[in-house]
Order: sequence, then C-alpha cells, then structure tokens
Amino acid sequence: MKHGSSLHAPDREYLRRYSAQAATGGGAKAPSEKRESMAKTRRKKNKFHLMSIGLGLDMPFCLLILVLLTIGIIMMFSASYPLAYTEDGDSYYYLKRQLIFAVVGVALMIGLSYVNYHTFYKLAKVLIVVSYAVLIVVLLIPSKTGIQRWIGVGPFTIQASEITKFCMIVFLAYWGTKYYDKMKYIKYSLVPGIILFGSTAVLLIMEPHYSCIVIVFLLTLIMLYLGGMPGKYFVAIGIFVGVCFVIALSTGLLGYAMTRMDGWGQALIYTTEEMWQTTWQTRNSLYAIGSGGLWGLGLGQSRQKYLYLPEPQNDFVFAIVCEELGLIGAGFILLLFGLLIWRGITMSQRAGDTFGKLLGCGLTAQVGLQVVLNILVITDWLPNTGISLPFFSYGGSSLIMLLAQMGIVLSISRTARIEKV
Amino acid sequence: MAKGVKQTFISRSNRLLAMLLVLGLGAAMCRLGYLQIFKADVLQQKAVDQQLSDTTISAQRGTIYDVNGKVLATSASVWRVVIAPVYLTTDEHRQLVADGLAEILDMESETIFEKAQQSSYYVEIKRQIESDVREEVLAFSQQLSDQYGINGNAVYLLDDYKRYYPYKNLASSVIGFTGSDDQGLDGVEYQYNDILTGTPGRLVTATNAHGTALPFQYSQNIEAVDGSSLVLTIDETIQSIVEKYMQQGIEEHKVINRGVCIIMDVDTGAVRAMASVGGYDLNDPFTLDAESQAQIDALPEDERAQAKSAALSKMWRNKAVMDTYYPGSVFKMFTAAMAVEEGLVDENSSFYCDGGYEVAGELMHCHQRLGHGTQNFRQSILNSCNPAFMQIGELVQQEKFWQYYQAFGFSEKTGIDLPGEADDIFFSTDGSMGPVELATASFGQNFAVTPIQVATAVCAIANGGYIVQPHVVAQILDSDGNVTSTTSTEVKRQVISTETADLLCDILEENSTSGSGKNSYVPGYRVAGKTGTSEKKPASEDGIEDYIASFCGFAPANDPEVVCLVFFDTPKGNAYYGSQVAAPVFAQIMSEVMPYLQVATDYTEDELAALDKTAGTYMGMTVSEATAAAEEDGYTVTVKGGGETVLDQEPAAGTTIPQGGNVVLYTDTESATLQVEVPDFTGYDIMNVNWLASNSELNISITGVTDNAMCVASSQSIAPGTMVSPGTVVKVTFTGSGVSD
Repeated sequence: MKHGSSLHAPDREYLRRYSAQAATGGGAKAPSEKRESMAKTRRKKNKFHLMSIGLGLDMPFCLLILVLLTIGIIMMFSASYPLAYTEDGDSYYYLKRQLIFAVVGVALMIGLSYVNYHTFYKLAKVLIVVSYAVLIVVLLIPSKTGIQRWIGVGPFTIQASEITKFCMIVFLAYWGTKYYDKMKYIKYSLVPGIILFGSTAVLLIMEPHYSCIVIVFLLTLIMLYLGGMPGKYFVAIGIFVGVCFVIALSTGLLGYAMTRMDGWGQALIYTTEEMWQTTWQTRNSLYAIGSGGLWGLGLGQSRQKYLYLPEPQNDFVFAIVCEELGLIGAGFILLLFGLLIWRGITMSQRAGDTFGKLLGCGLTAQVGLQVVLNILVITDWLPNTGISLPFFSYGGSSLIMLLAQMGIVLSISRTARIEKV
Repeated sequence: MAKGVKQTFISRSNRLLAMLLVLGLGAAMCRLGYLQIFKADVLQQKAVDQQLSDTTISAQRGTIYDVNGKVLATSASVWRVVIAPVYLTTDEHRQLVADGLAEILDMESETIFEKAQQSSYYVEIKRQIESDVREEVLAFSQQLSDQYGINGNAVYLLDDYKRYYPYKNLASSVIGFTGSDDQGLDGVEYQYNDILTGTPGRLVTATNAHGTALPFQYSQNIEAVDGSSLVLTIDETIQSIVEKYMQQGIEEHKVINRGVCIIMDVDTGAVRAMASVGGYDLNDPFTLDAESQAQIDALPEDERAQAKSAALSKMWRNKAVMDTYYPGSVFKMFTAAMAVEEGLVDENSSFYCDGGYEVAGELMHCHQRLGHGTQNFRQSILNSCNPAFMQIGELVQQEKFWQYYQAFGFSEKTGIDLPGEADDIFFSTDGSMGPVELATASFGQNFAVTPIQVATAVCAIANGGYIVQPHVVAQILDSDGNVTSTTSTEVKRQVISTETADLLCDILEENSTSGSGKNSYVPGYRVAGKTGTSEKKPASEDGIEDYIASFCGFAPANDPEVVCLVFFDTPKGNAYYGSQVAAPVFAQIMSEVMPYLQVATDYTEDELAALDKTAGTYMGMTVSEATAAAEEDGYTVTVKGGGETVLDQEPAAGTTIPQGGNVVLYTDTESATLQVEVPDFTGYDIMNVNWLASNSELNISITGVTDNAMCVASSQSIAPGTMVSPGTVVKVTFTGSGVSD
C-alpha cells in the first residue's frame, strides 16, 4: 500500500474525496460523490452549462478582474504612448501588444476556470522542480546588463520569478494540504519552509532580484501560516528578522545595502553622479506621484511620461496613474484591488477543500502582495527591482501568467460555497 | 483536530486579509497620501524644473538716430553658440566638440571641455558671432551628427544681437556703448538703457527628457518687446563739423587733455552737437589709442591693469558734463549781466584799470599789464579787463552774486539726460565768500563749473534771459516707429530781463567783431561771444601753469539760434589764450554750421565786395568765350594748353572762390596733369596770402578776421608742400594777434 502507487496514501485519499467536486461536466454526479459532497460541504448546487461560462464562477471576483484589467490597459496606454512614439514611431505599440496578451490571457483564464484545480495538486512536485530549473537556467543565460531575470522564449521573454512565485504557491498549498495535520511539527513546517525559501532566495540573489525575495519570503510565510504552522515559529522568525535588521542597522550594513540595491531610499538625495543616474527612475517616479497631487493632472496629462520616467509602461505605470488621476484616482484603484483581495480570500475560505482554500488564498495574496510591494517600490520604500503591478504593467508573460492564476482562482470559485451574483 | 485546523485556517486567513488590506494597502495609501499631499508642492516643483525649458528671447535693442534720422547706433542680428552637453555622453565626444568649437570660435579647448561636463541643455559658449562663423558652426554640428552620431542639438545657435555704431568715433561720449550683455555702459546707451533694452521674451516650453518640445501642450510664448528707439537732438552733420575742427585745434595747439565743444539751440536747450575730442571708436570701446597703450605697456606688469582702466575711463569721459573748470573770462558776461540787471551799471559807467587792482590788500593783475586806462562798461567787456570786473563785482556784492550764480544754474546740475554730470565747486555751499574770492569770481576764476552749465547759462543771455533745460534726446519711438514721447522745451526760469540780454548780445557781438573775441568773427554772420583763459589749479607737477582756453558765443547776434562753447584743456602749443586757441575754432565751426542751419547772411559792404563767388561752367566753350565769361564773373583767368576749346576747369563749376580768384582753363589733356605746390601761408597777413596764392595759381577761402596787418594766417586746409591742381581752393584761417584772453 505504501509504495504501491506513485501517490502517497494521503494524496490518494485526498483526491478520491474531492476530485469529483470540481470535475468538469458535473451534471450527473455519482450518487456516492453527491452524497458525500452534500454531507461534507452543504454546497449550493449549480447547474453547469458549457455555453454559460459564468455559471459557478464568482461573478464579483470575475468582474473586478475585468474592470481592473480594463483600467490597467487604458492607463498603461496613456503612460506608454510617448515612449512608444519615440522608440517605435507608433504610439499604439504597447497597447496593441497588451491587448493581444489580454485577449490571450482572458481566454486562458476562462479556460483554466474549467480545469479541475486538483490537476495542480498532482503537478505540485513537478512544478517545484520547474521553479528551480528556471531559476538556474536564467543564471546561465548571458545578459548584457548583468541582471539575469528573463528567459527568452521565441519573441517573448518570461520573468523566471513569475514562474517561481506560482510554483511556490502551488507547492506550499500542496504541502499544507498533504501535511495539514503535521504542520505543528517543525520538520513539516518551518524546516521545509526554510529550505524552500532559502534555496530559492540564494538563486534570486544571484540574479539579483531582491524584491522577488521579499515576495517569496512573504508568500512562504503566508502559506505556512495558512497551512497551520504554529505561531511560536513565526515569533522565532520575527525575532530572527528583527535581530538581523538591528545588526544591519547598527553596523551600517543596511545603508550599504540600500546603496547597493539601486540606491534604495536615496532617490531624492544627491550623493554621487553615478547614484544620481541610478536613482533616476525612482526619482522621476516620485516627481510624477507628487505632481499628481490630490486630483491629478487629468487623464493623458502626465508630463513625466515624456521620457523622464524610463519604462513608464512597466513597473512604474502606477506612478503615471498617480500623476494623471491623483490621490483620488490612485485610491479608487487601490480600493478595487482591496475588493479583489477581499473577494478572493473570502471566496477561497469557502472553497470545497483545503487545497482549494490554500491555493486560492495564496494566489490572491500574491496579487495583494504585488500591488503593495509595487507601490512601495515606486514610492522608494523598497529597492527598485522588477515588481510589476497586476493588470497594469505591460508584459505578456506576467499578464498571461496573472490571468491564468486568476483562472485557477475562478476554478476554485466554482466549488466555493458563496453567494454568487 | 480537523475542526481545529479548519478554525485556525478561517481565523488565520481572515487575519491575512486584514493585514493585506490594512497593513499592505493601508501603508501604500499612506505613502501615496504623504507624497501626493504633503510633498506634492516640492515634488511638483522639481518635476516642473526639469520639464520646462525656459529660453530667453533677446529683445532687439532700440536704434539711436540723430535728429535727421541718421542711424548712430543700431543692433544687428548675430548669433550665440550654445551646447547641450547632455547629449555628449563620453569624454571622447566632449573633447571632439571642445576641439572643434575652440578652433572655429578661437577659444581655449579646455574651457569648452570643462563646460561640456555639465548635464544640461544650455551652456553658452560664445556670444555675438557673425554669419560667417555661424556657417562654420552649423557645418560642424552637421559633421558631428553625420560622422559621430552626436545629436544635432548638441551644438546649436540662438539669436543674438550686436551693437553697431556706423559713425564710429562720432559723438562717442554722448552715445556711449554697450557691454557684452547688451547693457548700456555709457552715454545715452546707459542713461536710456531701460528704454532701449526692451523686454526680453521667454519661450517656456515643456520638453521631454530629450529636450525637444512636447508636441501640443505647456508652451507659453511671451513675446520679446523690442526696445524703443531714440531720436537725439544731435545733428550728425553739425557734430561732424565740430569734431573735424576740434581735432584740428587739438593738433594745432598741442592740446594734451582733449577739447570740448557744445552746440546748443538757444531757445529749446536741444544739444545739436556735443563732443569730447578725441573720442574713441564705439565699436571697439576697450581699445586705447596706440600712444596710451604703448605707455601702459611700458609700465610694470602689476600696474598695467589699473593704468589701463584709468586710461579707458579717461578716454570714455564726457568732459562736457563730467569735468568742471574755471570758466575764466567767459564768466564776465554773467557778472556783467548781474550788474546791468540790478541797475548797478549802465553803458556809461566807467572803470579804471592801471594794470592791476587791489582787493583787501591783495593786488591782482590784469592780463594787460600796462592797464586799459579809463574805459566804459562796454569797453571793459571788449577789453576783458579784470580790474574793471573786480570793480563790477564789488558793486554786485556777494549776496547778489550768489543769487545770480544760482539763478544762472551754476549751483545745481543742469539735469541733462546724460550720465555722470558733475557738481560745481564753489567757495562755499551757502554762497558766502570773502572780498578776494568775490573779486576773482567776478572774472571767472577760482570756482569751477561744467561746460554744459556755461553753455546753458549763455543760452539765457542769447534767448532773452531764459534758463532752458538742456537735453540730447528729442523723441522716443516705439519698436514700430511711432513717437511715444517728445521732449518739449522746458523753461526753468527767467534769470535776466530781455533788455539786459539784448544789451549783452549787442556788446558781445561787438566783442566778436572788434573786441577781444574778434578771432571768432565769421563774415556774413553776426556772431557774438566771449573768450576765456583760465588757469588750471593746481598747476601741473612741473610747475608750469596749465590753462584752459575757451570761447563761448552764439549767432546770429540779432536773433540767436545756437550757442557754441569751445574749450581746450591744456594747450601746450605757442598760444594758450582763448582768443588765440578757442575763438578761431569757434569761427571755423560757425562758418560751416551757420550755412548748414540756413541762417540768412548779413554782410557788410566790404565783405560783400570780397565775397566768394560760385564758379560757373566754362567747359565746352571756346577759349575766348570762356575767358570772357570767367572775367565777367570776377575771376582772373589762366589758360593752360594750346587748344581752342576748354576741356576742363579748376575749380570745378559750383565751387565757391573769392572774387578775383584764379580760374584755370585747360584746353588739352597734357596740361591737366600739371600740378603746383601749396605754399605755407601761415604767419602771413591777408595781402601776402593773396599774393602767394595767385603766384601759385591757387585760390584761397578765408575764415577769421583779416581787417588789419595784425591778423595773420594761422592754419590752412591743405598742408604746405602738397601737390595740387592749379586753381584748387585752400581754406586759410586768420587769427588776430595782439588779443590776449
């Protein structure tokens, strides 16, 4: 029994119990499954029709995605057209591509919403291998800039960390589901967490990609937390991080690190010409945000996008949003993100099984973390290292990846016991 | 267990949600709020600073015209070379630009290289380059972008203006010049700088980070308002006449400290000419004349800069308003006016001169040591007798003297619209003075006034007693040429009655005709005036007394039009008296200015008989016809060559020559090449000059008094020894000797 299958016993047991719930075509369910699901989840029954893709989906969550995507594309276009015009002579360069990515991404999202998310439970161990593989491969690819974050696939480039983040979430959801009753033991929670995070972080430092380390660290913490790791370990981690921070601060290592990390926190202070050039992007981001004031300069009225702010279509798109729409507009968008996170997590809480809960919360939390960290980057509270803003930043791989992840959350939502509008 | 895990998950995921929303988005929102509300102003300002490029558009400086609209100063379009070092990313490129520009602009390569280190879009390299250099710079910029791929905006040109003074030295001390930033530094350019400058415009454009203007927004163009133009009261023709004769006077009398001449309209106070000769080329105001430069070069190196700056300010100095001098005997006309106005003297008052006069125990001499004997009031002026004037001064007394001194405008600046006007230097600020001081002041000694004050006060005597405001700017024109302001005549006060003024005019006319001022006489024009010779105090280091020779007069005496003051500072030639040095120059100037002003002539019978006539056209006639015609016109005829027809004549038709002058008729071409040598006329009286002239087959034109053998030629328009065609007119100036002061 123990070794008679490729799956461990808990895996088989888990899948046996829950796989049918989210299965496609769920019209006529086997009586045993039906009984079990009725008994276990008291889930509201949904008629699922192929032609009615909305059925079973959490519509508020889905609408929030589409609204944010629409606003995101408009703002990305507004931010990018001067650069696009200068570089390519075509103001619509980024818009056209982003629209294609969005269409592909939305299609993939809808497609994945049909896929039984338990597929990823099965793929979890494969995915974590893939994660390490891309992180190693990316280091082997020569780079002109000395920063190795991207893997070229045909005409596209994929940011390795996008894959890593997803794989980590899936793997930790898998881990938490599989060992839900052993999470109180250090060897099932803290130790694998440290190994997983530590090894990934070492590879990320080599890229280097500091902000992603922060994300991966937080994601690992969140997944272990949700998975049930005892609170005392978090206290220990907290103390450890705190001590490290104090040491770094007292030895001046932090200041050195801030300087090394692309002039983190020093955008408005002139020290050396080199540093002034390095912090150019962050500084102009601050100028843009400040210029917006409360009410903004108006849609399309950004000045900083006129080549002052480098790559306004990417990570710094929100700086232009702040400039054009002001604190009011930025606040409204953050509110939409907040609603998305709220809906994503509350919906995941009501998912049909533990894996769905963990995966849904993890994927939603990743969006939340990206939003928060992106804003902290553009406001110079974190080092300026590639955290894109979900739905807003230009980029095929990240947008498609994001929408695909949202598709998985939507897939989970089909199993969730929540009032769907 | 399972339930516990489930509970844990619910509460933990709720906590996660709360942390993401409150801590995460809350922190982001706070950070944004801090930046967008509390730091908004600072950040916005910084953003605007980098976004806006503010280009100054030069306003064209106004033109300065003379009274007839001749251009005295104008601004022409030139260019300034600017680099945008932000496009120069490597030292290699910077060096390339520096070397290239250094060669074209004749500058130090290192200087430009240093400027190219900045990260800016605007670094000025050189101003006021001309169009030929501009072409070179443009070609260089093109070459940079073609060969090295450097942005075409890395080296560029902007409009600029440069000041040109078409008449160079003319009226240099009045017009002044501008500095490198187009700001007026002297003269009218300085005084009216604000009006001439205009308002520079600004082109505020929002630019992208490459410095090119954004396509459609944030562009504010504040037009440059070109400066207003000035029409001076100065008349280029009169000014030229003045400067020509003043220069001659300076050379002839070896004047070492320049000369001043002011010509003023007696009724309006408009200055028609004002010269501090020799001037300097306004186009090149920082270059000294060769002699001064040589003196400076001879100095030790550490003293040169100071010496040069002193020499420059001396060269730029407008002596007509900035210098004070003892007015000398010219002032006697004011002392006389006071006494007449106060009824203290009349034409029959008599004054005795035995060569000196004692005041408060101090004996002061007359320039005529033998004394003038008994003389009436009129004769006292004609003799310029110091003892007589000491007596007149005693009659006037200190109090009245001071009152009139003030009334004539000597105690205050005239307020002429030129910079640097000096104050007078009187014995005291309240007019109190001792008897000796009064006595010396009565003949214009020991107190100092400016030439413009004297000229203005003489205007009052010439115009019936009114002090008018002297000025050099007649009109201000806006950039479209519309008159925006016209200087009207400003009469400050009447200082003496018209009767007193008329009497003085009459006496001064006689003075110019037969008195001490007779060297100022201009035939046909009723000039009036007074000579002055004043001692310069303190005497120069060598102990030799230095003098200022001056003459101030006006014409015509019956209805004066202009006052002319001539003033030579420190003549070191044979003569130093105003009558010998300044009066003849006055006469020369007036002899040309009066006809130019179209003043009607009024000749005596003798003068009419000797009057110059205009030569007719004799060319084309047969020899006999031509001879008859020329003799009919009152000329002596000389025929050159053996032809039958007159091919050429000297002087040319239309030239004025004295009656009885030589007309040479050429009948063949060979004889036309014959030349005669101009003899030296100086020192000869009129009869001998005429004889010499006819001997040389030359014609003479006479200026100055010739009425007796005491009057001799003092200068001639063509230097002795010059080879000229027979019949050429040589202008000879006569100066009467035997008149001192």
